[in-house]
Amino acid sequence: MNNIALGRYLPIDSCIHKLDPRTKIIALILMMVAIFIPAGWLGYLVIGTAVFTLTMLAKLKFSFLWRSMKPMLFMLVFLLIINVLVIHDGTVLFTIGSFALYSGALSQTLYIVVRLMLMIMLTTVLTATTKPLDLTLGIEDLLSPFKVIHVPSHEIAMMISIALRFIPTLIEETQRIMKAQASRGVDMEEGSLKEKILAILSLIVPLFVSAFQHADDLANAMEARGYVPDRPRTRYKQLKMQGKDYITLIIVVLLLSGLVSMAWLL
Amino acid sequence: MPITFEKLTHEYNADTPFAYLALDAIDLSIEEGKITAIIGETGSGKSTLVQHLNALLLPTKGSLTVLDRTITADEKPKQLKELRKRVGLVFQFPEYQLFEETIAQDIAFGPRNFGMSEEAALKQAQKMLQVVGLSEDYSERSPFELSGGQKRRVAIAGILAMDPDVLVLDEPAAGLDPQGAKDMMELFVRLNKEYHKTILLVTHDMEHVLTYCDHVVVVDNGHIAQTCDKQQFFKDSTLLKKLRINPPAVIRLRDELNQRGFSLPCDLLDMDTLAKAIADEVKDHE
Amino acid sequence: MKKIQVSHLSFGYDKEKKVIHDASFAIEAGSYTTIIGHNGSGKSTIAKLMIGLLESDSGVITVDDLELSEANIHEIRDRIGIVFQNPDNQFIGASVADDIAFGLENHQVPSEEMQDIIEEFADRVHMRKFLNSEPTKLSGGQKQRVAIAGVLAMKPQIIIFDEATSMLDPQGKAEINALIQDIHAKSNLTIISITHDIEEVAHSDHVIVLDQGNIVLDGTPEEVLFHEQELIDLKLDIPFALKLQHALEEQGLQTKPCTTMEGVVDELCRLHLKN
Repeated sequence: MNNIALGRYLPIDSCIHKLDPRTKIIALILMMVAIFIPAGWLGYLVIGTAVFTLTMLAKLKFSFLWRSMKPMLFMLVFLLIINVLVIHDGTVLFTIGSFALYSGALSQTLYIVVRLMLMIMLTTVLTATTKPLDLTLGIEDLLSPFKVIHVPSHEIAMMISIALRFIPTLIEETQRIMKAQASRGVDMEEGSLKEKILAILSLIVPLFVSAFQHADDLANAMEARGYVPDRPRTRYKQLKMQGKDYITLIIVVLLLSGLVSMAWLL
Repeated sequence: MPITFEKLTHEYNADTPFAYLALDAIDLSIEEGKITAIIGETGSGKSTLVQHLNALLLPTKGSLTVLDRTITADEKPKQLKELRKRVGLVFQFPEYQLFEETIAQDIAFGPRNFGMSEEAALKQAQKMLQVVGLSEDYSERSPFELSGGQKRRVAIAGILAMDPDVLVLDEPAAGLDPQGAKDMMELFVRLNKEYHKTILLVTHDMEHVLTYCDHVVVVDNGHIAQTCDKQQFFKDSTLLKKLRINPPAVIRLRDELNQRGFSLPCDLLDMDTLAKAIADEVKDHE
Repeated sequence: MKKIQVSHLSFGYDKEKKVIHDASFAIEAGSYTTIIGHNGSGKSTIAKLMIGLLESDSGVITVDDLELSEANIHEIRDRIGIVFQNPDNQFIGASVADDIAFGLENHQVPSEEMQDIIEEFADRVHMRKFLNSEPTKLSGGQKQRVAIAGVLAMKPQIIIFDEATSMLDPQGKAEINALIQDIHAKSNLTIISITHDIEEVAHSDHVIVLDQGNIVLDGTPEEVLFHEQELIDLKLDIPFALKLQHALEEQGLQTKPCTTMEGVVDELCRLHLKN
């Protein structure tokens, strides 16, 4: 499990790490919007340069970003096949028998691939430079104006942070149960369909039982320490926007408006 | 020797920045038909060691021979089922592996995976229920209705039902009350004496090592720090101190009294002979 | 002075099967009380009833002068802290500091005061160095120490340890036991420890023995532990000291009855030197 790069926090000392999580979340949303502005290849060049700069500033290795994209490779290949079969725009590049590859199909696919890659890279930069807890704090703060329309921003943040806290525990548990059942002769790879279903059940049922046990114990522990969901709480970690946060946001807004005007001119 | 490790090394996440050497070129032999305690601090590598015995983990260097099967780091082993049937591994808190609708079916799950017919496996389940000290009327009940201690018995019955030659148990008595722990340990002694199973017991409880085991293997920081029989192990408390092991009460008492003027022999390991030696010494002075 | 008074307490998860039957006992302020009983005897249920995590069917629990009820449950919980058995399932924060902060946040302690409190109590349990560590990087014993710090930071008057060491290795057990002794010695906290460790019982002030939801013995360790046959019948252990004294008796050596190892060693040395 240690090889997963997507969503993993890397404790490095960089200027991106030090930004307020709210700045980073807003910047991510704005950049995502920017990716979908049809500003042509020149537009992608601009965004690409921005992402490249961000990665350098965050002191992340490109091999790390590449690893976070690996799980998506399958999807990209899948998209390529669908596009090639469906899109018949532009000129025919070459034909194999009755099959023809159109230039439109190729450029469409490339557009999607580049967009997806940029989105994954941006998200990876966010998660790699922001502690999960800070991320939840940021989400909570950004959602707090919506309290007026009864969005339980605090409860949402609490749920996300507890979920994040228990992911490693549940992964460990899954591995333990798999090993225990393997010792009882379960073979997750081979066997008939019926055997496979039983094998999966032998993993899922104990996992659910123990997840509920964790939940029950945790609820007791929280309640015993004075947690009441709808009662106001103070907060230990305070977020504070600084000069660099405002500068970052201004740069991102400028980038976005630049792209919008480029699209306009096109 | 049913089990021998030769220069076996296990490194987790080898070739990544998270690499961690859990076992470092260990040599070890476990005697057949005995109860061997495997002790060591948390993180010493003892869990990694026992998971090699039924090939849940494979050596990254070196080799091990279990029964007649040799597993080396060089070739990827095939057909591990036979080995897993013959080496029963009971994890810590095994009650969490129960999942079937009835207790009998859960116990029969292992044997069925190893190719036993449903009928024979259920019959075997009935038998194993009795071996672990639960009556036959339990067989049709749900395992989830049982108390913690009973669940653990059912889980152990599920491994015993595979009729393994070697039984490996990781902290089988953890979290049980004193009586439950005693019953559990006596079950293993019976399996060893009556059914001639070779038993490996991972434990932190020195009282259990002293009372129920024959041999002791100490794992310390990825190395085998000591292998010897129980008598020799508890003879010398300086070794125990060096290994940061808190000796059992009998040994603590023996050492404490010797420090304060008694001269009790060092090979005294059980309460009755120790009491006799103490009484003799006190009376001698009269 | 009585800190907790429990009278005629009954509870069952379902109507027919009572887990606690008409239990009555009192706990002195500042005392170290141990509650023992085999698995399933109702020990943990009593703890959960005392902090209002479960609601009793009948009976009264009084803490100081407050009678536990729906209305004052939070006030009662402010006075009683609890450390549970499983170190993993009570670590709520993402790091040691966040976990200690959790209770403070619930108590609406102002943010700017928290850092000092967190550092003080992390120090108290010798976890100051680990303030930013995540739970996966900590041992079971360290997690339990953090749980204790989290409870202490809320300044309770009573702490319940519900088998807090039963899932720990010997090193973790020793750390936590030493910490509990230290807290008891240096504060006027009332301590209730639910345990299987008969040696811990021998060193406490007051013992309550439970069997099938009934209180069967209640008194000082001496009063309770000398009921040896009864303890054995209840599937409980008896202290090493008493076992040894019986073995000595068989060899014709009479010693003054005593429940702790230190006591027996002193007595034997006295006999040894006298002659």
